[in-house]
Amino acid sequence: MTSTVTAKAPKTPSREDSRLARTGRNLSWRLGVPPGALAVILLCLGCSAPHDHDVVLWHSYNGAERAALEQTAAAWNAEHPDTHLVLVAVPHDAFADKISSAVPRGNGPDLFIYAQDRIGDWADAGVIEPIEFWVDDARADRFGAQTLGLMAYRGSLWGMPLALKSLALFYRSDLVATPPRTTADLRPRRDGAFAIAFANPDLYSFAPWLHGFGGRVVDDQGELAIASPEAARAMDSVRALIDGKLAPRNEENSGIATLFNAGKTATAVQGPWFIPDIASDVPWHVAPLPIIAETGKPAMPFLGAEAILMSARAHDKDAAFAVMDALTSDASALVRAKARQVVANPRAYDDPVVAADPVLSAFREQAARSVPMSNEPAMRMVWNPYRTALDNVVSGHADARAQLESLEDQVRGYAEHR
Amino acid sequence: MRSASTSLPALPVVRRALRDFAVGAVCALAIATAAFVGVRNRELAAKQLALAERAAEAAARHHGDVPGAHAVLVGPPQPSAKYPVLRHRSVLEPGGWRVLAGARDDKLRFDAANRFDRDGSFAELLPDSRAVAAAPARGTVAVAITEPAELAPFPWLVVIGVLGLGAAVAAAGALAGTRSRVLGALAGLAALAVPPMLWGSWIAGSAILGIAGAVAAAQRAELTDRLALGMRRHRTALGFLAPAAIAMLVLVAVPFLIGIAIGFYDYHSGHWTFVGFHNFAELLSGGGHSLDDPLNFWFILGVTVVWTVVNIALHVTIGVSLALVLSRKWLRGRRVFRMLLILPWAIPNYITALMWHGMFQGEYGAINQILHKFGISDVSWFTTWAKAFAADVTTNTWLGFPFMMVVALGALETIPRELYEAASVDGASAWQRFRHITLPHLRPALGPAVALGSIWTFNMFNVIYLVSAGKPGDSTNILVTDAYRWAFERGDRYGMAAAEAALIFLVLMLWTVFGTRLVRRKEAA
Repeated sequence: MTSTVTAKAPKTPSREDSRLARTGRNLSWRLGVPPGALAVILLCLGCSAPHDHDVVLWHSYNGAERAALEQTAAAWNAEHPDTHLVLVAVPHDAFADKISSAVPRGNGPDLFIYAQDRIGDWADAGVIEPIEFWVDDARADRFGAQTLGLMAYRGSLWGMPLALKSLALFYRSDLVATPPRTTADLRPRRDGAFAIAFANPDLYSFAPWLHGFGGRVVDDQGELAIASPEAARAMDSVRALIDGKLAPRNEENSGIATLFNAGKTATAVQGPWFIPDIASDVPWHVAPLPIIAETGKPAMPFLGAEAILMSARAHDKDAAFAVMDALTSDASALVRAKARQVVANPRAYDDPVVAADPVLSAFREQAARSVPMSNEPAMRMVWNPYRTALDNVVSGHADARAQLESLEDQVRGYAEHR
Repeated sequence: MRSASTSLPALPVVRRALRDFAVGAVCALAIATAAFVGVRNRELAAKQLALAERAAEAAARHHGDVPGAHAVLVGPPQPSAKYPVLRHRSVLEPGGWRVLAGARDDKLRFDAANRFDRDGSFAELLPDSRAVAAAPARGTVAVAITEPAELAPFPWLVVIGVLGLGAAVAAAGALAGTRSRVLGALAGLAALAVPPMLWGSWIAGSAILGIAGAVAAAQRAELTDRLALGMRRHRTALGFLAPAAIAMLVLVAVPFLIGIAIGFYDYHSGHWTFVGFHNFAELLSGGGHSLDDPLNFWFILGVTVVWTVVNIALHVTIGVSLALVLSRKWLRGRRVFRMLLILPWAIPNYITALMWHGMFQGEYGAINQILHKFGISDVSWFTTWAKAFAADVTTNTWLGFPFMMVVALGALETIPRELYEAASVDGASAWQRFRHITLPHLRPALGPAVALGSIWTFNMFNVIYLVSAGKPGDSTNILVTDAYRWAFERGDRYGMAAAEAALIFLVLMLWTVFGTRLVRRKEAA
């Protein structure tokens, strides 16, 4: 699925072409391979590997984000004919595993776009290249200290942030005039619709409650902090929402979209990726998540940053960094912001069109009330065991405190093995 | 049967001896080459790392450059006032301090000094065969980078010489007599073990000696002559078989052996460590989890066995029942029904699994919508083991019964009608006809189908992973989904995943061998 963003004008056959065709036929005859098959083989050989001076970038973008990335890549290629940028779309589910297995063997891309939570893991395994050598204050000013901090691990900088992603509250303006200010405003509805819907049991969707109650997964020192009374209270609170029929039980993201579009839930806790799933006839808005009534603190989702990371085996690292630099520039950020990506470069929001976008504004406001997702290697091992523990608590089969203690032991065991 | 030696009168004894030597020499040469490359790379890495360390230490003591490496002193980091993670470093050159910026190897020196600050002294081999090392140097860091190493050339002369000597010994032995022919082959091939042993690769040398012994023993038993004759006789057939055999070797045997080998290693941040049977022991001991814990291997094995037995029982029962109905001549539209009932088998199983997963969903799932009509509402399918397991079994039964139905239909067609007619004349009831005629005729066809079906079901990753995803609390995981979780969700424990895969293979092999024997014994009885 290589998408090259330059096109060549069709050529008319010349005498040279005829000579080449004859040579091809002779070669085909000598090798004993039918001409068609030889052509396919040569085509495959020609297509199989990019040229040495190309910079290959893997991404898993779709829709408007992909179109915006291709537009910025086309701009790079127009300005740098000698260093061609080749974009390769790779399905998201297999992305991280492909990177982990391909790069250490000298294969894979020069650059790739992925969320920052794998930085620690890949840095320790020698998969990604530290980049602070090339980054000066002027470049860092594009993002600010907090966003750049998401790319730091063990005292080095490992990526250039592209976009910020977090959950926020989508609400149907035909069902609720204003979004709930606190969780106390989440009450049973007369029309039978749920007051709020979120994918559960899932740590990512649970995180706003966890952080709102004061719990954490990894503390500021990078140590596991899973088992805490605050986390247990957050789990109990989510279970109460579900048991009280204020939120659906065991719904997945696809189910949330169905509920939201059918008017069976007034609000949905989702990220920017939810927008294409909303039916065109549904009146919707986005707002920051409500305040947790029990603590008075806002529900704070994880803040993730999608970043361009450089492979430790990139064949021309200076050229690869030049591409990173260009794709995170002010001009590129503006192109992506206009495609409704919550870009990490705040200068894009100086543009009047982007500044007037209420969806981007809501997500930016939410980003300011969020907890950066840790990029410690242990974070990667938390997801599945946490889902299991949440599953057990929310379904009423286990005590939250005991589950959290067992969960922390389990994750600590996996992390210490590393 | 004619003896091979009498059937090959035209082939001189020397030529036969050289043929056997050539076969053994090809294997020995492959092992020797691998040993040479391994030893050469190991020695080269050790030499480069030692050179880099020596150069860094020399620079730290201001002793100047060591030949083959260039060392510099890198100053302490100067952090940015605004961004603590950003910093500059300078390098001491004859003209004074220069900021590391864009010159050749500046990035390497910068990263090496940063790594020294974090981890202390180190030496590392780079992908381009250079080595980099860092050592402390009175407030600065001495960073040395070696020149790229030159790979030692392959010792063609040694190999050609040893091959020639070995061939001469083998030929001489053949000329001297029958007994000497075996000794000649042994000595000739054993000569090829000398270079690897001189390089210090005792494993490769021993393997070559093993090959020499095997070829000599085969020669003594005239096995090599019989094999050569067989190959000549079946040249055409072997030519047709070769592509498939090579494909099987590359796509099945090699990955299988690599998988087994990985089970003896542990993976840590890009490095593999040999741990012997540790992974197997951790799995088989339950890893510190109690027997009723879904993370205990024996719990998962129990779930897998129950899963397989329940599924196969349902597949066979439903498949045979439908086959009996569809085999009735009086049934109208039999072909249409047959086609419709085969459809679940024809659809890729992950698509079916995703469809069923959607149907078991809480609010909008089709199953709950149907149950709602009967007054049962809000069934949460994945909150208890029994319900989640039932959802998995339902999906897999949907996927599995058509295979058994097709097998049973084929077997039913072969039962002579006369048997039923004779039984009816004798007054046998419908159940007796089924019990004593249909079932015994179905058994030979269903036996292999059950064996095959049980292997598929035992390893049915898609249904478990996509329908219940192990819920609740990992309790519906089977061995193959647990192996996946070891590899990709529990910190890259590829060794544990490979060890579990090897145990799955062992269980299935035992089941195939003993299960098939059991079925045969019952058939014989």
